[in-house]
Amino acid sequence: MDAYFYIILVVGLVSTVLCAGAGILKKAPNDTTILSVAAVELALLVYLVGSIIRVASGEHIAGEPWEFWGYLFTALLLPVGAVYWAIAERTRWSNFVLAAVGVTALVMAARMNQIWY
Amino acid sequence: MAASERGTGTADNGGATDPSGAIGGREAGAGRLGGFGRSAGAGRSNRTARDTRNTGPGRLLIAVYAIFALSATARAGYQILTKFSEAPLAYLLSAFAAVVYIVATISLAKPGPTWFKVSVTAVVVELVGVLVVGALSLFDAVNFPHETVWSLFGRGYGFIPLLLPILGLIWLYRRRPSAPVAASAD
Repeated sequence: MDAYFYIILVVGLVSTVLCAGAGILKKAPNDTTILSVAAVELALLVYLVGSIIRVASGEHIAGEPWEFWGYLFTALLLPVGAVYWAIAERTRWSNFVLAAVGVTALVMAARMNQIWY
Repeated sequence: MAASERGTGTADNGGATDPSGAIGGREAGAGRLGGFGRSAGAGRSNRTARDTRNTGPGRLLIAVYAIFALSATARAGYQILTKFSEAPLAYLLSAFAAVVYIVATISLAKPGPTWFKVSVTAVVVELVGVLVVGALSLFDAVNFPHETVWSLFGRGYGFIPLLLPILGLIWLYRRRPSAPVAASAD
């Protein structure tokens, strides 16, 4: 597991706890929960840029490269889709939708690390 | 038929195509919440106004189904493209699971009694699938050594594949077309 994974681990868990907590408190999605999901997207973008630089500088992906990129691009779409789905109907349940982003990104980052090394 | 189902949906251009369009698209969405009855089709009562499952907790359910549809499709596609000959049965089961998740996601998001029946079918097939494949992978591990979403009751996915159809059936029961309007969640 590399630094990219741990960044996403921390940001993803914080986002999930914030969003699930807001959902339990019966709040609709607000700036805090949506920005925490945006932070997950940012962390994934850092992973993307870092990975492009590493491949460009000659580093080799141990597993299937297209599987790695498939995971990364799918993960990048998740926060966008979840925010779209959540603000279309702003109830407490939408915060649980946002909460799913952090853990899913975390699981996918773990898989991406396995493929890379 | 199609128009009446449309009118009961969320506010996306639904009312615009409704021939009985006394109420515009926006209000059609509000009608779902407020429950003011528009007897749309012949023989339909005003309960069609709330005949949708993509609201409240249903939206979380659809989101989780969408994640599983995506991951199951990607996984089955990868297995079939790269190593199909290793275990054709297991990878065809993966693909079947992916199709079930896709159908469940779409049908749960769509309003109307027809989509309700599609949802019930998809979720029941999913429950049977996870139980049968889970049991087979447990008791006949020699013939089912290859991973699918439903292997070992979905252990590789935190047992969510086992939990999801149960929650789905509870949600579908609570939002069944014949349910009394008073029982509506939020």
